[in-house]
Amino acid sequence: MLDNLALGFATATTLPNLLYCFLGTFLGTFIGVLPGLGPLAAVAMLLPVSFYLPPETALVMLAGVYYGAEYGGSIASILLNIPGTPSSSITCLDGYPMARQGRAGVALLMTALASFFGGVFGILVMAGLAPVLAEFALLLQPADYFAVMLLGLVAASVVSNSGTLRGVMMVCLGVLLGTVGVDVNSGVTRFTGGVQDLRDGVGLVVVAMGLFGVSEAMTSARGATPSYATEKVSWRRFLPQADEWLRALAPALRGSLIGSFFGTLPGTGQTVASSIAYALEKRVSPNRAQFGKGAIEGVVVPESANNAAAQTAFIPTLTLGIPGSTTMALMIGALMIHGVTPGPRLISEHPALFWGLIVSFLFGNLFLLVLNIPLIGIWVRLLQIPHYFLYPAVVVLISIGVYSIDHNLFDVWTMLAFGFLGYVLRLYRYEPAPLLIGFILGPMMEEYLRRAMLLSRGDPMVFFERPGSAVLIGISIVLLVLTALPRRKQKA
Amino acid sequence: MPATSRLTIAILAAGLAMTGPAAFAADYPERPVRILVSFPPGGSSDLVARLLAEKLSGELGQQFVVENKPGAAGTVAATELKNAANDGYTLMLSNLTPFSVAPTRFPDTPYDPVEDFTHIAYIGAVHLGMFASPELGTPDMAAFTEKAKAEPGVLDFGSSGVGSWGHVFAVAFANEAGVELSHIPYKGSGPMRLDFRAGVIPVIFDAVPQNLPNVAEGNAIPLAVSATERLATLPDTPTFVELGYDIVAENWLGISAPAGIDAKITGTLQEALATALQSDDVVKQFDTWGIVRSDMSSEAFADYVAASAESWAPLVKQASE
Repeated sequence: MLDNLALGFATATTLPNLLYCFLGTFLGTFIGVLPGLGPLAAVAMLLPVSFYLPPETALVMLAGVYYGAEYGGSIASILLNIPGTPSSSITCLDGYPMARQGRAGVALLMTALASFFGGVFGILVMAGLAPVLAEFALLLQPADYFAVMLLGLVAASVVSNSGTLRGVMMVCLGVLLGTVGVDVNSGVTRFTGGVQDLRDGVGLVVVAMGLFGVSEAMTSARGATPSYATEKVSWRRFLPQADEWLRALAPALRGSLIGSFFGTLPGTGQTVASSIAYALEKRVSPNRAQFGKGAIEGVVVPESANNAAAQTAFIPTLTLGIPGSTTMALMIGALMIHGVTPGPRLISEHPALFWGLIVSFLFGNLFLLVLNIPLIGIWVRLLQIPHYFLYPAVVVLISIGVYSIDHNLFDVWTMLAFGFLGYVLRLYRYEPAPLLIGFILGPMMEEYLRRAMLLSRGDPMVFFERPGSAVLIGISIVLLVLTALPRRKQKA
Repeated sequence: MPATSRLTIAILAAGLAMTGPAAFAADYPERPVRILVSFPPGGSSDLVARLLAEKLSGELGQQFVVENKPGAAGTVAATELKNAANDGYTLMLSNLTPFSVAPTRFPDTPYDPVEDFTHIAYIGAVHLGMFASPELGTPDMAAFTEKAKAEPGVLDFGSSGVGSWGHVFAVAFANEAGVELSHIPYKGSGPMRLDFRAGVIPVIFDAVPQNLPNVAEGNAIPLAVSATERLATLPDTPTFVELGYDIVAENWLGISAPAGIDAKITGTLQEALATALQSDDVVKQFDTWGIVRSDMSSEAFADYVAASAESWAPLVKQASE
């Protein structure tokens, strides 16, 4: 392992690699901050540039763009309540309340530190266990993946701070919205109302930007959002209180562990990781009463989980050649154009590429930290822009972002419709985060459910015969019951 | 000398007098050209388009820009191409799905794959392979069909989706071979290969290139390929035709434009593409990606697209029953 890391260091510390790593994280952060543009858009934008670089440098740069954009997404989540990715919608839950309490600086600093912590944790897991973990994904079958998705959905309904019932309702609505489009198993189009543009379903970014971004702008226009222009920008105000440092350590560790684990499962990755980590923390944290009202743990946990998962997600991508997400598919494309085919022999055939990439993650995460701590002051100043300038600008940016995905105006109108839906839901205290996670995980859960049933020729026992799926389904039930129970007691 | 200069002037004057629509075609390209790709960035078709775009930009002195328009089985991109101006500034990396499969699969497809387009040049093709898991214990096709006949409906096969070429081809194969297989559809090749490696499904019908690492590792046994001749990448694997099955399939790639494009533009593009396809790095990349190149005139390519759509139609209908 030490030899490998030494090789990795040698590759990662060449001047061009360091430079492109920095450039990648830098551009990634700035693209990620723009509402409507997430890691996928950022990597897609810079993919053509990578064609002109050697494969190691190309991948180092794109990886930098990827986690830079992930981090940039959390900035928009905290400041404006607009998550760049579904996983950062969990960060909104406590990050945005913190910003509204005038503690945006603290939230941003903790996000940077928690991301760094989770990222480094994930890197260490990768460096130590990648060859072992490579085969791990092959132990799981459709029934197990179904159970992982189910747990993710239960966790998403439990994270809701306005009651489990509301959370479950929102998750179910999300799952239903996710069924729009062509059904995988029959090829039949569902719930499209004959609209051609809906054949592939509603776009994720369209839903996320509508539910969060547009509805936030509508709420601010109503004057429901108090102005936080009074926050003073000074270094002292960015530092958490002494006891908060200690309180953040255990959640960061738990989040990183959960994140590293779920990152290695192709396709489940960050969304499942951050919702499960948040749901778990909400049960075990001594400070759980504060969750949803600006608890520092509520920012630390999803961010550390999310970033640990972002790193370990490279394991199945590179060693099995199977992309866990569209962003990862782009990374594989970047390798393929250089004639490197990801697969079981990648680590042995291209050790410099694999270990160089891992070590570059370390530098990339460091760059992120160095880059972003001085920038916190600037980000916080954004909030001093009067709302009547800020939010219209945000809506314009979001619309451009959404339009740029497929150059289709239909998407922009759909986004505005979701904005209206989000506004109505907000009025009645329904949170959009569980809806968004249901929208992502629901179709995946259905796919695995039906595949497992097809394979078992319709025998549902398959979910209980496999130990992995049986245990996860058990945990899901317990989690749901435990969360529902105390509320009943309080009422009685 | 004076005589020649006078002649030159005369020709120039004649040329100026003819300035009009013809000049547009002669000066093509004068501004950037879009190449629509019916897949998201990063896939193998996208990479082919980007590689060729770079080559064409170099040869014709204008930027060729790749624009990804994925969705609805490629019909989004093809519809946009049909509706674009036929001035040669909008092209598409045409391929099997939107032109040969979709018109039959989706009766509401708003274009005719032959009438509404100018098919400019054929680029090459990727072939389909039938891969069995080593755990199945069937080292060749004969052993497989024997096993499949012994237990009808028990063996599962994976394809990259309902109505995908793998699915359509597998149904045609099962009919020819007289076997009954159960279809497990996936959303694309990646997740299917994961389940194949994990031992969830014993057989897959998938494009050959992305399965070569698994074959090299001994994790997949190629039973047959869908080409007319054996592939350079799998020289020991027979074709379906060799084994007595009358089925051939190739996912072809080409460059197409809207209908009624000027013949001069077609000529310019054809020539530039022919040069590009013969350049060393394109040859090398296509070989590593498993794309089989082939030359075809524009007329031959148009006939080819028509024949492809016609031959796939009954198979697609059969698979969607």
